Amino acid sequence: MLPWLRAAPQIRIALLNGHSHRIVPFGLYHLAAAFSQRRRPGSVIIISGLAAMTTPTNPNPNPEPPPVIVVSELRKRYGDIQAVDGVSFTVARGEVFAILGPNGSGKTTTVEIIEGMRAADGGTATVAGIDVGKDPRAVKRVIGVQLQSSAFFEHLRLSELLVMLGSIYGIRVDPAPLLAAVDLTDRRSASFRTLSGGQKQRFAIAASLVNDPAVIFLDEPTTGLDPQARRRMCELALEWKAQGRTIVLTTHYMEEAEELCDRVAVMDQGRIIAMDSPDALIDDLLSRGFRRDHEVRPATLEDVFLDLTGRSLRED
Amino acid sequence: MLRKPEIYLTWSSVKMWSRDRSSLFWTFFLPLVIMVIFGLLNFGELGRVDLGIVDQAQNAASARFINGLESIDALDTARGSLPAEREALAQGQRDLVIILPPQFGPSGETTAGAPAAPSETVEPFAPVEPFDPVKIEALYHAGRSSETQVGLGILRAAVAELNYAITGADRVVSLDARPVDARNLGYIDFLMPGVIGMSIMQLGLFSVAFSFVTMKREGVLRRLLATPLNPATLLIAQVITRLLVVLIQTLILAAVAVFLFGAEFAGNFFAVLLAAALGGAVFLALGFAVSGWARSEQQAAPLANIVSLPMMFLSGVFFSRDVLPDALRVVTDYLPLTYLVEAIRGMTVQGDSIIAQWPNFLGLAVWLVVAFVIANRTFRWE
Repeated sequence: MLPWLRAAPQIRIALLNGHSHRIVPFGLYHLAAAFSQRRRPGSVIIISGLAAMTTPTNPNPNPEPPPVIVVSELRKRYGDIQAVDGVSFTVARGEVFAILGPNGSGKTTTVEIIEGMRAADGGTATVAGIDVGKDPRAVKRVIGVQLQSSAFFEHLRLSELLVMLGSIYGIRVDPAPLLAAVDLTDRRSASFRTLSGGQKQRFAIAASLVNDPAVIFLDEPTTGLDPQARRRMCELALEWKAQGRTIVLTTHYMEEAEELCDRVAVMDQGRIIAMDSPDALIDDLLSRGFRRDHEVRPATLEDVFLDLTGRSLRED
Repeated sequence: MLRKPEIYLTWSSVKMWSRDRSSLFWTFFLPLVIMVIFGLLNFGELGRVDLGIVDQAQNAASARFINGLESIDALDTARGSLPAEREALAQGQRDLVIILPPQFGPSGETTAGAPAAPSETVEPFAPVEPFDPVKIEALYHAGRSSETQVGLGILRAAVAELNYAITGADRVVSLDARPVDARNLGYIDFLMPGVIGMSIMQLGLFSVAFSFVTMKREGVLRRLLATPLNPATLLIAQVITRLLVVLIQTLILAAVAVFLFGAEFAGNFFAVLLAAALGGAVFLALGFAVSGWARSEQQAAPLANIVSLPMMFLSGVFFSRDVLPDALRVVTDYLPLTYLVEAIRGMTVQGDSIIAQWPNFLGLAVWLVVAFVIANRTFRWE
């Protein structure tokens, strides 16, 4: 059998055509189906997971890919508050890793230290082998960052903003596919200020991708988004994962973390109090005799909402 | 080449600037309006002196004296009774009121036609010995000091002239006033450097103070900090953009003053642009200092105004600092806008070189260092 067919389960085809978008598990049948879809002119088929297609299968695959982020004993104090109190973890390449925690638990500070935006009081963090404390700008080159509240220059069009951001990395950016990926093609000539909340959030995500980053940091990427846009966000994250990118995110939405993440760390008062895959954490809780007060039904209100209003993105 | 961050950021901020209507208004339109209004109204030209005359003598001598006053261009004369003129003075319709007393001239003696030549007027007065001077009372409006001073000067000269005529004394000293400079300097020549300097100050202070406070508050700067952008690159791009605007602004204001109002531009054009750029750098640094301190636009606006408003009126923008009280004038000698305006004025009016204007350039350079140190201490990214 051809090597790329053996790697087939890892390959996905993403169909992007304006508003509707689906991720199709790879298979000859699906490939045929994807191409025979009624496609509007200009729609894009992204075949991700190319790395898996071209790399010959390793006869003895290494089950543990090398970590791309290594954080060790990180500390940061603001006045009387020990915001980050000895945080250590590693994130593997291609992993989706979430830091969960209530407001003020130190997760944003932790992420900002790894992003090179804040200096730590103690401890080290390396991203792709680069020590953040020693060379924050080198780290910033290889990562993409979506901040909790991003803002961009006034009086520049969205497409111009992306080109300008690209120039900072020394890259000539084609804004069209970036804007298409977050469904902002129609607003390419708008200025950031005139966007709605959800559109701003989506543009911030597009902006975090201009340098084709190996690691993407998303700080509460879905806060303030409607369920459709949240679903879209999750799909994008899975696409990036399939492209071999590493994703570190913080969120307050547990369903999202459960669905997206390979592993989560739960932070409180500056410390990591639990870290494992969502399934393992849930199993652990159940093994300690936890039972929900009422029976879990196989559908949620969000399923109802999406069933009623459709899954496609709305112009908000 | 455009992909170099410095160049692309500068180009981007030029684009942003050109699309920002309010900054275009404040930068180009408003200074032009100020220049045109002040240029047309010619505020600098001294207003004519409104002189009220109360003629209690009503004789030939008083008539001749009044005739003489009426022929002086700088005076707007009116006659009336004492109460009426006092009232007019109180209401500000007169700057000065003079009262010619009944004993003005030899009452009753020379009613038969006043002599034309001074030698002939001597005679009727000659027998009066010892001479008892006739007092002409002058009342003046305290609020209009410059007009009053000019009016009093004219009156003193007229009275002296009358004295010569009456006593027949030979003039030992006479004033021969002639324009020494071939160029005919007007108010617009004074105004143009003032408005250019003022516009540079406003641009430097306000554009930086506001845009950086906004970028700081909205998180634009934070987002840029998440990229490998060297912060200095961003600052340099912003400074270069604004210095370009300063130069364009200077060009436009000078062109309007020269071609529309016939202002003098004696000095080297590039030397003036250099002064403008140096002044621009000083006020940009002050603007960064303001934006570093202020957390919101609501704090930035009053602070920028506190810095700029006194200078607008004390640094010789619209009128000469000579009218200021001495103690205040000494202080205003050291204001950055004073250095800038006087450097430009020295060059445009007197045709000075940079070397001739070195004290003002030195003053600006010192201010640049001071402002840079303050800005460096106060500036924050978040």
